[in-house]
Amino acid sequence: GAMAPGKKITARIKRTLPVRGPQAPTLGELMRWYCLNTNTHGCRRIVVSRGRLRRFIWILLTLSAVGLIIWQCAELLLNYYSASVSVTVQFQKLPFPAVTICNINPYKYSSMKDYLSELDKETKKALETFYGFSEGKSKVRRSVDEWNSTGSDFFKQIPLLKFEDFSKTATDLHSGQKRKIEGSVFHKDSSIVNSGDSNDIIGFQLCDANNSSDCALYTFSSGVNAIQEWYKLHYMNIMAQIPLETKEQASYSADDLLLTCFFDGLSCDKRHFTRFHHPLHGNCYTFNSGENGTVLSTSTGGSEYGLQVVLYIDEADYNPFLVTSTGAKIIVHDQDEYPFIEDIGTEIETAAATSIGMHFTRSRKLSKPYSDCTETGADIPVENLYNKSYSLQICLHSCFQKAMVNSCGCAQYAQPLPPGAEYCNYKKNPNWMYCYYRLHEKFVKEQLGCQQICKDACSFKEWALTTSIAQWPSIVSEDWMLRVLSWDKGHSKKLNKKLNKTDLANLMVFYKDLNERFISENPTNTLVILLSNFGGQLGLWMSCSVVCVIEIVEVFFIDSLSIVLRRQWQKAKKWWNDRKRQRSGKPPQAADLERQGHDNPVCLDEDLPTFNTALRLPLPQGSPLPRTPPPNYSTLRLESAFSEQLPDTLEPGQH
Amino acid sequence: MNLKKYFVRALHRLQKGPGYTYKELLVWYCDNTNTHGPKRIIKEGPKKKLIWFFLTLLFASLVFWQWGILINTYLSYNVTSSLSIGFKTMKFPAVTVCNANPFKYSEVKYLLKDLDRLIEAALERILQPTPGNSTESPSPPLNLTLWYQIPLVLIDEHDKDNPIILDIFESDQTDKGNETTAGNETSGGNQTPGANQTSGGEQTACSHQGSDNCTYRNFSSAAQAVTEWYILQSTSILSKVSLQDRIRMGYQAEDMILACLYGAEPCNYKNFTQIYHPDHGNCYIFNWGMDEEALNSSNPGAEFGLKLILDISQQDYIPYLSSAAGARLMLHQQKSFPFLKDQGIYAMAGTETSIGVLVDELERMGYPYSDCTNNGSDVPVKNLYSQYNTSYSIQACLRSCFQNHMVEICACGHYMFPLPEGVNYCNNEDNPGWAYCYFSLRSSIKHRQICIDSCKETCNDTQYKMTISMADWPSEASEDWIFHILSYERDMSTNVTLDRNGIIKLNIYFQEYNYRTISESAATTIVWLLSSLGGQFGFWMGGSVLCLIEFGEIIIDSLWITVINVISWCKGLKQKRAQARYPDAPPTVSELVEAHTNLGFQHEDGGALPRGEALPPEPGTPPPNYDSLRVRPLDALGRDSDAE
Repeated sequence: GAMAPGKKITARIKRTLPVRGPQAPTLGELMRWYCLNTNTHGCRRIVVSRGRLRRFIWILLTLSAVGLIIWQCAELLLNYYSASVSVTVQFQKLPFPAVTICNINPYKYSSMKDYLSELDKETKKALETFYGFSEGKSKVRRSVDEWNSTGSDFFKQIPLLKFEDFSKTATDLHSGQKRKIEGSVFHKDSSIVNSGDSNDIIGFQLCDANNSSDCALYTFSSGVNAIQEWYKLHYMNIMAQIPLETKEQASYSADDLLLTCFFDGLSCDKRHFTRFHHPLHGNCYTFNSGENGTVLSTSTGGSEYGLQVVLYIDEADYNPFLVTSTGAKIIVHDQDEYPFIEDIGTEIETAAATSIGMHFTRSRKLSKPYSDCTETGADIPVENLYNKSYSLQICLHSCFQKAMVNSCGCAQYAQPLPPGAEYCNYKKNPNWMYCYYRLHEKFVKEQLGCQQICKDACSFKEWALTTSIAQWPSIVSEDWMLRVLSWDKGHSKKLNKKLNKTDLANLMVFYKDLNERFISENPTNTLVILLSNFGGQLGLWMSCSVVCVIEIVEVFFIDSLSIVLRRQWQKAKKWWNDRKRQRSGKPPQAADLERQGHDNPVCLDEDLPTFNTALRLPLPQGSPLPRTPPPNYSTLRLESAFSEQLPDTLEPGQH
Repeated sequence: MNLKKYFVRALHRLQKGPGYTYKELLVWYCDNTNTHGPKRIIKEGPKKKLIWFFLTLLFASLVFWQWGILINTYLSYNVTSSLSIGFKTMKFPAVTVCNANPFKYSEVKYLLKDLDRLIEAALERILQPTPGNSTESPSPPLNLTLWYQIPLVLIDEHDKDNPIILDIFESDQTDKGNETTAGNETSGGNQTPGANQTSGGEQTACSHQGSDNCTYRNFSSAAQAVTEWYILQSTSILSKVSLQDRIRMGYQAEDMILACLYGAEPCNYKNFTQIYHPDHGNCYIFNWGMDEEALNSSNPGAEFGLKLILDISQQDYIPYLSSAAGARLMLHQQKSFPFLKDQGIYAMAGTETSIGVLVDELERMGYPYSDCTNNGSDVPVKNLYSQYNTSYSIQACLRSCFQNHMVEICACGHYMFPLPEGVNYCNNEDNPGWAYCYFSLRSSIKHRQICIDSCKETCNDTQYKMTISMADWPSEASEDWIFHILSYERDMSTNVTLDRNGIIKLNIYFQEYNYRTISESAATTIVWLLSSLGGQFGFWMGGSVLCLIEFGEIIIDSLWITVINVISWCKGLKQKRAQARYPDAPPTVSELVEAHTNLGFQHEDGGALPRGEALPPEPGTPPPNYDSLRVRPLDALGRDSDAE
């Protein structure tokens, strides 16, 4: 009663659950005991088999079973992270995607005249002097005079050159002087260079402003490409200096672009479109952008229930050098996605009805550890410059822009501005073009590391488009159609000219069917399945289970170790005692021997158990009556696994 | 009493179990079961006993938990898909070709004469605001009955709350209309310049009751409004014409299909099956497989596909009905109805259109894996397209569903869809309010949703993925002779009756890989379930079905013990003479264990088993068969058994 309750409990535990070592005295005994009593199948056979050959065969079989189990389980583990694909088709009301429409020409040529007149004049002059092209004789005469008098900023900065016979000399097309080429040569279309027609090779030179000996040369097999590329460089340079509001003003308004609009059997107008300014395509208009929180949906497939618009493409107001094709570009995308219209847009012809049937597919990949994709892009160390959800394209563009700002000090015009940066132009960054070309070269050759950093998104939506074209308006309907459309146009814009059919494009975007295909990856294995596969393997080869595993751990690690330790301890003690005895000179006593290695003295019960001990009935103490002695049968011996048993493993009541 | 005794004895005989008490039974079970855990509980020392007891419990609960997950997984009926891509000999798809324009204008002119004059006059009024211009050309009086059924109006929404509505043809209001038009032009805000009015109920009723029964369909563009109005009116007129006449008015196969070549074999318009399509008039289907076997194609490439030359005679188009010109074509499965508005593509006149085909098949498992239908028989919508002998498709179901609703609500069928039995197509004379009814039904989201919910997609979904490319055809150099030959073949005359605006060349062929098949198979079968269950049980406890049976046996045994105990308790209560013959304390568990491993303790009336078999071959005296060692059932029963 004096003991503390905690001590009492520990004492009680010690009493009821005494700590005792393994029952087997030696490792061999332990193994034998294990083999006889284990739940696995092979081991027992080894012990029970008679004859060496048979035993050997059984050992071999057991070992190979163990090997097979290990191999198969390793295989299971290695294949754990595999995914299976399932495709489900759901027929349902589908959200209509956002449809972004741009005119191929970014800005009205007439309203950009102020900014571009200088550049265009120079380009025309260049065309005239290099190729003998002129729009009108009288104009050219005058301009040639001007040319000689004023000289050209544009050509000074980036001279156009003509190459001869692959020699290291070139003719400057502006001054007519021959000059030596320094620096490395980049071929824009190298396959044509090899054809050997050297007369046609034309290009321009970009030099490092700080170090004029470091120049890069860009060559083109055709003057068309060279002039366009050259023009584009200057154009971007000019555009970078114009404020956004001016550019938006100069581009097409919704009224300009959209003549009629019809969605799902109902009329729609410019209020259903959201303006979005694209640096290369000017004002683009997104139908169903989801900006006001509602996304239109389609509950019937077919061309009548989709979006039908007639676009006005004012071909007369096109920039002749920047764009050489006529029409519109459209892109079908998700409301969250940024429309990369310059990369993946579909072009729409004028004087035609373009019918675009869509088929919707949604895909979903499993992210780590199944595949290397990203759910939200938050784990990518590239800042998303677009305020849209992550995509691989966004990441690559942002990465390039970041590199551009870091190494050139200014931002490339075609991509959004990072905070604190501004677009490149000559005045502030005279070196940017050279820098840009060099950087772009590196980007394409994957030296910037962008392709390594950026991962693809795990889930994406895809609209597969089937595009077909019909003539529109038909010959017989052309007359009234154009008249009515001109009237429509005249209403919104006080302009009273009859439209030409080459200024119009009819576009139909609709769902071919409302079957949504959803392709998803699912983990092939879950933990449950892995475990049951393990269980199947273990059970098949050896009828083993986790219990066997625990047994193995118990027997082979804990028990074996403690037996070994005990042996060592006994040896050490014996050695110590021997030494002590040798010192004292006393012969070893029997009692000492008996006690060796034991913590508490016991008497080994050498006698066969009697019936009474077997039943653990207390012997009648001091009974006066003579009784028959209980029979001393060997069958009454308590079944013990080991012939020899260490006393500390015995039950306390037995001695 | 005798019966009861017999019953008790029978019970006892049945219960030849391992013990007569629960404890005995449990110990026996633990010792003899094949599951791995329980054996350890009784074999080891007290501490290990405890550990093993908890381990066994833990494993047992783990097994049950995992089994629950597995069974759940099985019942969710997941599928896995397998994809195969390649080329094989496949049925060439059925090819439907139509003209974008349904009827020859020259044939239907007499029907649409009034309507055309009406719309021309209306356009005149809209486009030329000054009245002087319109009166210049004296025209025959217009048939205004058509007009008054569904008039075209101008809506000036400049004042949002009070939109001014002007009927274009109301003669006394013409000036006013002009004023409004002028007003629109000067203000230049965002109004709706053109509008189309649909009246509900009878025309007279509408005018008498005011605008309550009228709805205005707004269009932001006059072009759109005029087209829609014209379609409505012409639909009403054409719906009264009999089918034979309509077929006669459409394009005939011999006029439209000029040349045909399938692989190396020539074919002609006779190889095409005619079908009347409400949108496109006469359509012709190649390789529909209705009467003859479907053609196979065993080679990829344009040389082994279908080559067609069509003439769409664009000059004969109905000017206001379809503004796009070209052929409409569609690839579809044999014996299915072509829904050109949904899946069809255009081919432009004066071009050669090449279409590479990839058959994209999706084969799905039916119920319970996914909710799809094999032949549409389990869909609660009457398939109206079955009159064409075509197979079920979701488009057919949706259209049938719409038409059924239309018949139900508007009492007549829409011209674009097949008719159920005993119903007529809607027209302005018999059903004056049909247009209103149709538009309200068409825009009703509720009805659409009902149809979407009641229709099911088919389990085998086949799509033809097309790679379309175009080139100008014929080339300028070859133009002359090609037109000459084709005209000659068609009309047997030397006059050239064809031109660039009507002629279309089509090449349809299989791509190098012509199929992509996604087929589903069950991810979890019953075999999978059983092997997973077995795996789990085996993994944690080394158990099998037999172990479960063992366990069941033990439960039955314990039930018997309960029954026996209850009976004896009742008896004891009755007779008040239940005494223990053996006053010693009941045996302990460990004793009993030994008792059962030692067969000497076996409670068998017939004496001990042959020693040699039951015991290890250890020589020794047989154990005494002491009465005190006998594990005894309660005496009442003991006597019964002894009595045997």
